[in-house]
Amino acid sequence: MRIGFMLGEVLRSVFRKPATGKYPFAKSTVPDRLRGAIHYNPEKCTGCTLCMKDCPSNAIEIIAVDKPNKRFIMRLHTDRCTYCAQCVESCRFNCLEMSNKEWELAALQREPFTVMYGRPEDLDQFLAKTETKIPATET
Amino acid sequence: MTAPSTEKFIVPIGPQHPALKEPAHFEFTVDSEMVTASSARFGYVHRGIEKGAENRNWIQALYLVERICGICSNAHSTAYALGVEKLAGVQAPPRALAIRQIFIELERIHSHMLWAGVAAHEAGFDTLFMYSWRDRETVMDLLEAISGNRVNYSMNVLGGVKYDITPALSDAVLRGIDLLGKRLEYYLDVATTEETFVQRTRGVAPMTAAQAESLGTTGPTARASDVQRDVRVDSPYLLYDQFPVTLVTETAGDLQARFTVRIKELFESLRVIRALLEHLPPGELTARMPRRVREGEVVSRVEAPRGELFYFIKSAGGENPYRVRVRTPSLCNFSSVLVGVIGHRVADIPMILAGIDPCFSCNDRSVIFRRAGEDDASAKGGSLPSAL
Repeated sequence: MRIGFMLGEVLRSVFRKPATGKYPFAKSTVPDRLRGAIHYNPEKCTGCTLCMKDCPSNAIEIIAVDKPNKRFIMRLHTDRCTYCAQCVESCRFNCLEMSNKEWELAALQREPFTVMYGRPEDLDQFLAKTETKIPATET
Repeated sequence: MTAPSTEKFIVPIGPQHPALKEPAHFEFTVDSEMVTASSARFGYVHRGIEKGAENRNWIQALYLVERICGICSNAHSTAYALGVEKLAGVQAPPRALAIRQIFIELERIHSHMLWAGVAAHEAGFDTLFMYSWRDRETVMDLLEAISGNRVNYSMNVLGGVKYDITPALSDAVLRGIDLLGKRLEYYLDVATTEETFVQRTRGVAPMTAAQAESLGTTGPTARASDVQRDVRVDSPYLLYDQFPVTLVTETAGDLQARFTVRIKELFESLRVIRALLEHLPPGELTARMPRRVREGEVVSRVEAPRGELFYFIKSAGGENPYRVRVRTPSLCNFSSVLVGVIGHRVADIPMILAGIDPCFSCNDRSVIFRRAGEDDASAKGGSLPSAL
């Protein structure tokens, strides 16, 4: 029978570094396989839309700018994305990857959460056609 | 669950209550400090997941069921994946099965350490809470290094797993496990010899094996009452026939036995993970899976950290599941709380509730409490209408 069993450990901890890191001033190292923001490479995309079909939260839209010439763009709703990486697994042509650097993705408005990916000329063509006001286009 | 008493002071607990981490409603009839009757009502976390699975294809439903619970997410995902693979007649390659087993055991470690902290917190022993959660970060970091996320690992795909365990990761896991082994021995010592804590757990809510069986408890709650039941031993899945787990039971059946069973189970988990990493079978990670699964029904059972997780999956030959029925272990264990709390003080209620390791998110099914000889019309409704 003991009382205050953990006291020794607690007193020793007074002289040790705290276990909590001071985020955002000190960020811990992120593992290589962290599943962060999705990036799309339109060069190899064939428009099979398996990523769209398999996304559990319908976050991906593959829009055909010019289907016979295989020119596609992707509209990604990052607020719906659950970062499960099923799209990366479903794509047979390795067009999708998840960044391990972009994981601080909070925003104060709705707009930054809809991201469009594609070649610049395809994006321009699509946006001119639809006159959609979606900022933050990226390749 | 018991005859209504004539004492009329009823203590309602929940659904919003600082002692409960998740919403549920309990009503305890008390006579000064002693509880004389109890009843419960669940369904506050009902999200329509079983219906949602019918509107999604097989792959999307895998991620949906993973999110039934945050703590035992991999158990749900594995049970579903094993069931669908059995329906489709696809066998995942041995390396994938080994990696799945490693993940289930790593999840058991994180879940039991989380529970040890939370149960200690319910007793007011915040020191054990903080230190066990600090050491739990070791296993969370390992899980993040292998899969990319700390909970909801999304490790499983239909037909295999997504990520491989490289030799470097395997070394990191082995180092983490050695550290955890030492810390778990320390926590077992604390939980069984620290007198202030022992006074709150020894002899509280004892349950005999016969009672445990008749109330339908499962998992470590039942094994603490010497019920010899564990899905990994009774009907081995994954690679449990080659890398078996020894059944860990205690005879006392009280709260302290539930502590010791869970921590001793973790020593078994550590041993199995070490064995698997040393003999990881080579090969590929996934097998080809059809997008339409042929017609049929299957039952898939997995030992989640809380007990036996039961999946019934029915396919009508299409791209979407026809029916996914989930019976989670926490639901079975609640009857032991409602019976065990009778005759104890109000102050023991949070500990007795925490002793079964309740996971309320897993639990949102329709429950009807019926007294013997009563018909449906006069049964005291547990919660929702039967639309699940």
